[in-house]
Amino acid sequence: MSDFRADQRLLKWLDERYGIAPLVEFLREKEVPVGGHPMVWYFLGGATLFFFTVQIMSGVMLLMYYQPGEQTAYESIRYIVTKVPFGWLVRSVHCWSAHLMITSLVIHMFSTMMLKSYRPPRELTWVTGFVLFSLTLGFGFSGYLLPWNELAFFATSVGTDSVKSLPLIGEWLLQVLRGGPDVTINTLYRFFALHVCVLPITLVGLVTVHLLLIQRQGMAPPIGEHQVARGIRFFPNFVLRDLLLWLTCLAALVTLALLLPFGPGIPGFDWELGQKADPLAPAYPGIKPEWYFLWIYQLLKEFPPHLFGLEGPQLCLLVVTGLMATWALIPWLDRHARHNEPSPAFSDFGVGAIFFLLFLMLKAWDIGGNAQNSPDGLPDPAAVARTCAWILIPVAAATTMLRVAVFRHRWFVLSGAEVLHVALHGLGGVSYLAAGAIAAALAAFVIGITLLRADGIRPGEGGRR
Amino acid sequence: MLGASPPQEEGFAPSEKLAGLLAAKRDDGGPWIGADERAYFDELPARAKMLFDQVAKTELVSEPEHLRQILSLRLPVAQIELFLNDKCVVCHSDPAVQDRPEMLLSTDPKAAGSPAHMDLRESVSDVHFRRGLSCAGCHGGNPDDDEMADEIYDRWPDADKRARDRAWIPKFCARCHADPAFMRGFAPALPTDQYAKYRESRHGQLLLGKRDSKAAQCVSCHGAHGIRGPQSPRSKVHPKQVPETCGACHADAEHMAGYRLPNGKPLPTDQLADFKKSVHGRALLERGDLGAPACNDCHGNHAALPPSITSIAQVCRTCHAANGEFFDGSKHKEAFDREGWPECIQCHGNHAVAKTDDSMLSEDHSPLCYDCHRENANDSEKCNSTAKYFHESITTLAQGSESLSALVTSFDERGLDAEPLSEVTQELHDVLKDTRSRVHASDRSEFDDVAKRGRELINQGRQLEQQAEAEYRFRTNGLRAALGVMVLLGILLYLKIRQIESRG
Repeated sequence: MSDFRADQRLLKWLDERYGIAPLVEFLREKEVPVGGHPMVWYFLGGATLFFFTVQIMSGVMLLMYYQPGEQTAYESIRYIVTKVPFGWLVRSVHCWSAHLMITSLVIHMFSTMMLKSYRPPRELTWVTGFVLFSLTLGFGFSGYLLPWNELAFFATSVGTDSVKSLPLIGEWLLQVLRGGPDVTINTLYRFFALHVCVLPITLVGLVTVHLLLIQRQGMAPPIGEHQVARGIRFFPNFVLRDLLLWLTCLAALVTLALLLPFGPGIPGFDWELGQKADPLAPAYPGIKPEWYFLWIYQLLKEFPPHLFGLEGPQLCLLVVTGLMATWALIPWLDRHARHNEPSPAFSDFGVGAIFFLLFLMLKAWDIGGNAQNSPDGLPDPAAVARTCAWILIPVAAATTMLRVAVFRHRWFVLSGAEVLHVALHGLGGVSYLAAGAIAAALAAFVIGITLLRADGIRPGEGGRR
Repeated sequence: MLGASPPQEEGFAPSEKLAGLLAAKRDDGGPWIGADERAYFDELPARAKMLFDQVAKTELVSEPEHLRQILSLRLPVAQIELFLNDKCVVCHSDPAVQDRPEMLLSTDPKAAGSPAHMDLRESVSDVHFRRGLSCAGCHGGNPDDDEMADEIYDRWPDADKRARDRAWIPKFCARCHADPAFMRGFAPALPTDQYAKYRESRHGQLLLGKRDSKAAQCVSCHGAHGIRGPQSPRSKVHPKQVPETCGACHADAEHMAGYRLPNGKPLPTDQLADFKKSVHGRALLERGDLGAPACNDCHGNHAALPPSITSIAQVCRTCHAANGEFFDGSKHKEAFDREGWPECIQCHGNHAVAKTDDSMLSEDHSPLCYDCHRENANDSEKCNSTAKYFHESITTLAQGSESLSALVTSFDERGLDAEPLSEVTQELHDVLKDTRSRVHASDRSEFDDVAKRGRELINQGRQLEQQAEAEYRFRTNGLRAALGVMVLLGILLYLKIRQIESRG
C-alpha cells in the first residue's frame, strides 16, 4: 500500500465509493483526431470557455459592489473603477473578456462551419452551439445597459426599438423588454436580472450539454475520413495544451486590461463610462451598438422605410431571421457533408457570409465618410460605400487566391456573388438592396444551371487530401 | 397650420363663379390654381369657404390670378377670415383693379413693380394685421366700405410733404402706443413710454426739434408693413438684426455726412464693422448668444443717446458687475475721475472691444499699463512692478491650470482615478477667473487673497500627480511580475508537453 502514490490512493478511495473507474478509463483512452486540418481550430471552444469562466469570476466580483438603481447604478460603477481596490482591473477585465469571448466564439463557429464538423452525428452540438452564440449576444446586450451611462441608455433605446417592427408581437415584446413603453430604470432592473441570473444559469446548463456531447462523440475527424487515422491523447496531452493556451489568454487579457482600460477605442469596442444617463436629454446622432451588432444596425439602415407593402425594418428583421435560421439548420441543409463528402458550396457560403458581415461592419464605421469636412457633419454614404468596397475587394481577392492555392477550392459562386454585390453597390452606385438582388439572382441562376448538370458540384473542392 | 377645426363639408357647394375661378386654365392650358393651393382650399372649414364664395359672388375676387395669390398665402383659418372680411386688403391685392403698382399689394412686389413695403405676404404677417388692426387702423376708412372714404385722403399729410418731413410719424404711432388704456387691450406687457423716450433721444431731438427728417423714427427701425415683435428672428429689431438695422444709417458715410461729435470731429461710420469684429459682436452674430449686447443694450433704443464719459462705465457694469466693483475701490478710479477719462473703454475700447487676454498685462506684448504709467504716474516702479506681478502670477496659474487639465485627460485614459484632480482643476479654473477680475482693483493684497489659493491648488495637483504616477508604476510593475510568473508557468507546461509526447 505504501508505494501507492497519493493521487492513486485518492482515485481508489473515490472508486470504491462512486465507481469512477470507467470515467477515468474513458479519459485515459480518449483521443483527439489529428488529420487534414490544423489543430488550432480544436482549441477555440476551450478559449471561449476560458473567457466565459473569467466572465463568471469577474462578474461575481463586480456584483459585490454594483447596485442597480436610478441613483446607484452609475455611481456604483464609478465607485468600482475609482475607489475599490483593483476595481478598475476587474471591470476592465470583465469588458475585455466579454469582447474576446465573443471574438473567439465567432471564430470557433466559423471554423466549425468551414470544417463541416456539424455533419452527422454532431448536428445537436452545432445547434446547441448556435443557441449558446445567441445567448452570448443576449449577455452583451443586457450587460451594456448596466452602467446606466448616456451611451448605453441611448444605444439600448435604439436597440430595443428595432423589435417593434416584428409582426404581431412587436409592440408587446418591446414593452416586455423595456418594462414599459420607454427605456427606464425598470429596463435596467430586468436587464440586470437577465444578465446575472437567467442568462448565466441557462448558459452554464447549455455549455454542459455542449461539452457532454463533445466528450461523448469526440472531436470531429476531417471530412472524408471515416476512421481517425491517428490522434493524440486527450488527457494529458490535449488538456495540457489547452492549459497553455488559457495561460496565454490570461496574459493577453491582463495586459490589455491594464494598458487599454477602456478598450481599443474603436466605435462599438470601448466602454468609457462617460456621463450618467439622462432620459430627458435628446439622443445625439451617430450612436452605434457594440461591434457584433453593427451588421444588423447597418442592414437596418440599408432598408427604405417601405418595401413590398411591408415596413423596411420589418422586412430587414425577416431577412436577418431567415439568415439566422439557415445558419442554425446548416447540418440538415448541407447534404454532401451529411454523406461525409466535400461540400464546396457550403465552404463558399461561409466565406460569402464573412464578406457580407465584414462589408456591413466596415460601412457601419463610416470608413471614408469624411464626416469632419462635410458641411452637415454627417458622412457621405456614397463615399463610405466606395471606400469600404475598395477595402473588401482586395481582401476578397487575397482570400480567393489563398483558397485556390492552399485549399484547392474551385467553387466561388456565393462568395463571388457577394463581391459582385459589394462592387455594384460601392463602385457602381447601385443601392445596397438592388445590388444584392441582382447578385442573388445571378447566383441562383448559376447554381440552377450547375444543379441541372448531374455532376454539378461534386468535383469541386478537394480539400487537402 | 389649419387644424383649428376639422373640415365641415356638409352644406358647402361652391357657386358657379367660385367653381369657375378654381378651375380656370392659363393660356398654356395649365391650371391657375395649383395642387398645393387647391389642397389648402379643400382643407378649409365650410365657414371660410363660404367667405371665398361671397368675395367671388360680389366680384371682389374676379380673376383666377387674384384668387391664386390669396390661396398661396396659406393663412391659418382665423387669419384668412380676417383677410376676406377686409375689403381694403382684398381690393388692394387685386392686380386687375389696381392699375398703379404703388397701390398694389403683391406676393412678388418686384415682379409686379410695386414698392418693397407693398409685399402682401409681409403685410398679412404684420403683428397689427394679425391682431385685427388692418389697413384702416393706420390709413383710416372702413374696411366694410366698397369705396374709398374721403377721410383716408385727409388723415395723413400729402405724399410730398410726408416724404419731406417725417416728424409726424412718431406722434402718429404714439396715438395708440402711448395710450396705456388702449394698449392693454392688445399687448398689456408692452411699455407705453416709447414716445416720451424718443422725444429725449438724439434721434428725437433732431427730427422733432430740428426737423431733420434723416433722423431715425419708428418706421426706420420697425418697418411699415410687416412689423414683427422683437422675439421674431425676422424682425428688424430682433437682437441679432439690430446691428444691421442701426448700421443701415450709421455705417452709411453718405447718410451720416454732416453729423459731428461734441468735439467737432465728424461722426465715424465704422461702428458696425468694429462691432462685428468685437467679442460682443462675435458672440451675438456668430454664436447666436442672445445674452451678448447689441447696439441698443449700451445705447438704449427709443431713448438712444451717445453715452457720456460718466455713463459709459455704468453701461459696462450692467453685465461686468464684479470688475466694476473692484475698479471702484482702486487707485485708478481716483486718477481716472481726476483726468476725466472714461473708465472701461480706456483700456478695452468700445465698439471693437476684443476678447481680453493675459498678455494685456505684459510689457512685451502690450505696453498698455507701462505707457500710461510713464506718461501719467512718473513711471512709478511700484505701479509697474504690480502690473508685472499680476502678469506673472496669472500666467503661472493659467499654465498650471492647463497642464493639470491635460493630466486629467491622461489619468482618464490610463484608467486612474481622475476625480480628485478634476475637482482641483475646476476650483483652479474659478480661482483663475477671479484673479483676472481682481486685476481691476490694482491692489496686490486683494489679488493675493485668491492667487494664494491658486498656488496651493497647483501644489495639490502636483501631489495628486505624483500619487497617481506611483499608482500607475505599481500597476505596470504588478503586470510585469504577473506576466513573468505566467511565462514561467507556460515554459514549464511546454516542457511537460514535450516530455510526455517524446515518451509517446
